[in-house]
Amino acid sequence: MRASTHRLLQQAILLSASWLVPRSTRADWLKEWRSELWHAHEAADSRTAEQEFTRFCLGSFRDALCLRGIALRRRPLHSLAQPSPHSFLRSFPRHYFGSAAFCLMALCAALAISYGLAQLLPGVRTESHPSNYKVRPGLILIQNAFSSDDSTPTIPAETYKLWTARRQRYFDALAFYRIGRDRASAASNDVEVWNVAHSSTNLFSILGLPVRFASPGDAAGVILSDAIWKRDFAANRQIAGSYVRIGGRQAQVLGVLPEGAWRLPGRADVWLLEPNSQNSGTGYVVARLTELGRWEMQTPSVEISSYNGDDTDEEFIGFSFAQRTKGPWSLYEFTVLLAFLTLPAITSVALSESHFSQHRPSWTSTARRWAFLGCKIALLLPTVYFASLDLAYGSAPSYSIPAQYLQLLSSFSMCLFGLRWILLDQSQRCPVCLKRVTHPAQVGLAGRTFLAWNGTEMICTGGHTLLHVPALPTSWFGTQRWMYLDPSWKVIFGGSRVG
Amino acid sequence: MAPDAKDAKLSHTAAMILQAIQAGFVYGFSIMEMTGLPSGTVYPAMRRLERDEMIRSQWEKQSIADAEQRPPRKYYKLTTTGRATLEGARKRYPLLDRLIPTAEEAKSR
Repeated sequence: MRASTHRLLQQAILLSASWLVPRSTRADWLKEWRSELWHAHEAADSRTAEQEFTRFCLGSFRDALCLRGIALRRRPLHSLAQPSPHSFLRSFPRHYFGSAAFCLMALCAALAISYGLAQLLPGVRTESHPSNYKVRPGLILIQNAFSSDDSTPTIPAETYKLWTARRQRYFDALAFYRIGRDRASAASNDVEVWNVAHSSTNLFSILGLPVRFASPGDAAGVILSDAIWKRDFAANRQIAGSYVRIGGRQAQVLGVLPEGAWRLPGRADVWLLEPNSQNSGTGYVVARLTELGRWEMQTPSVEISSYNGDDTDEEFIGFSFAQRTKGPWSLYEFTVLLAFLTLPAITSVALSESHFSQHRPSWTSTARRWAFLGCKIALLLPTVYFASLDLAYGSAPSYSIPAQYLQLLSSFSMCLFGLRWILLDQSQRCPVCLKRVTHPAQVGLAGRTFLAWNGTEMICTGGHTLLHVPALPTSWFGTQRWMYLDPSWKVIFGGSRVG
Repeated sequence: MAPDAKDAKLSHTAAMILQAIQAGFVYGFSIMEMTGLPSGTVYPAMRRLERDEMIRSQWEKQSIADAEQRPPRKYYKLTTTGRATLEGARKRYPLLDRLIPTAEEAKSR
């Protein structure tokens, strides 16, 4: 490494270390170190390697940590007469991990991470903006009654054709689609295999989905997914009217479906709209309900009987689209409500305070304590929302039933246990400074519970309070109690303020 | 002066730094050179000594540094507390005087 590179590295080290120093003294500190480095260079002979100076600069980190420790906590003379290079690092967890600020910062970091992931993962991004998906009311998806999983198509094209040929009482329009894999060549003329949804021409007009660049109406042609349009057509805005070759046939491009607009079962790269006569195989049927049909269908699902010509009938189930259009927010609201209702069953933490003496914290301390609790809950709830979406839709490209279950489970679990942690954490925060009480000490004997005090005693490192938690709740000591320490305790806590 | 300054227990490192400052090595790098301690030990120890009011620092006048075409230096000197503490530390570390000669002695060697 050249000398100039070393000099740059040395300056970078000093600058990096300076960020550890409190802002008020940063400039002064940096000036001193740069001056020292300059004089070190001057004093050295030509044989001194640049690595020596770099090592010299690395010492600035320990100096910076020391300065930070001094600035954050003034300690009395007697406790500092034996300086230790690691004293700050050793004391950091004890003094700062339990503080209210650290707790809020940790929650903010969790929220930022979960939100950042939600913005990065395409499935989550699509799902968290359900405004793309707006279908007309009164639509149902028909499936065979003996199939509980909508990931498998169950309606033969012949059945669909039979239904469309007959006059229907409850439906005024029916559409069919099936997903298949076909060889296709796009603009680049490279042959690829796409997931092609072979659909009846009226599928999009029934669903009322927005199609970019053109209005497909009931014309035959092909509609591209947003992903294929961007990947294989370089997001060409003049795509409508051009031709692609799918399964050996030419098809005119009618438009592009926006990202997240498709929420029906099956993942499609393109939708090939074909006349009914060309529909074949087994697929899905979408039906639009008549007024009578809507009146009859008041529940999320409805049983449908189809009478065949040979006096036999088949049973089907129609699922409302309402569940699919709600988006993840309604599910999240439900889980939050459920978690709040379940919370008393898994934790017995009371937020009311019990004291040994008549001393009561000031109303500002009480307000600050409640504000802290509110902040924690306010940070937890959006974190749970984004984290549950990350888990559910991190690998799923869009809406699916398993993803919904995963969101439900993760959202409920995180919300429930997060709230439980918040309450437990709150119960162990000093009412004066909101630091967590530490140094648990077992006091008394279990065998003498009814004769004397038996439990755990914890102390606030700021010297404000002692917390007594009974090992076994008794009639005279049922819940934890706070003891406020008077100024006579000051000598134990050194420079910390008491009272 | 703090009443217990003489009795305050000083680490060997801190005692060496106080001794070096009293001997005339009045800025960080010279103390480092004289004591042989690394920068990561000397400077933090000096921060603590300054916080405990055993030493005091002062920036050199900019005009002096400008005249010599160099950056200004920060000089350190012992306070009354620091001198008293060093006196107590010498009893504890009798070889301190021999380890750190005065700046004049060091130059004459």
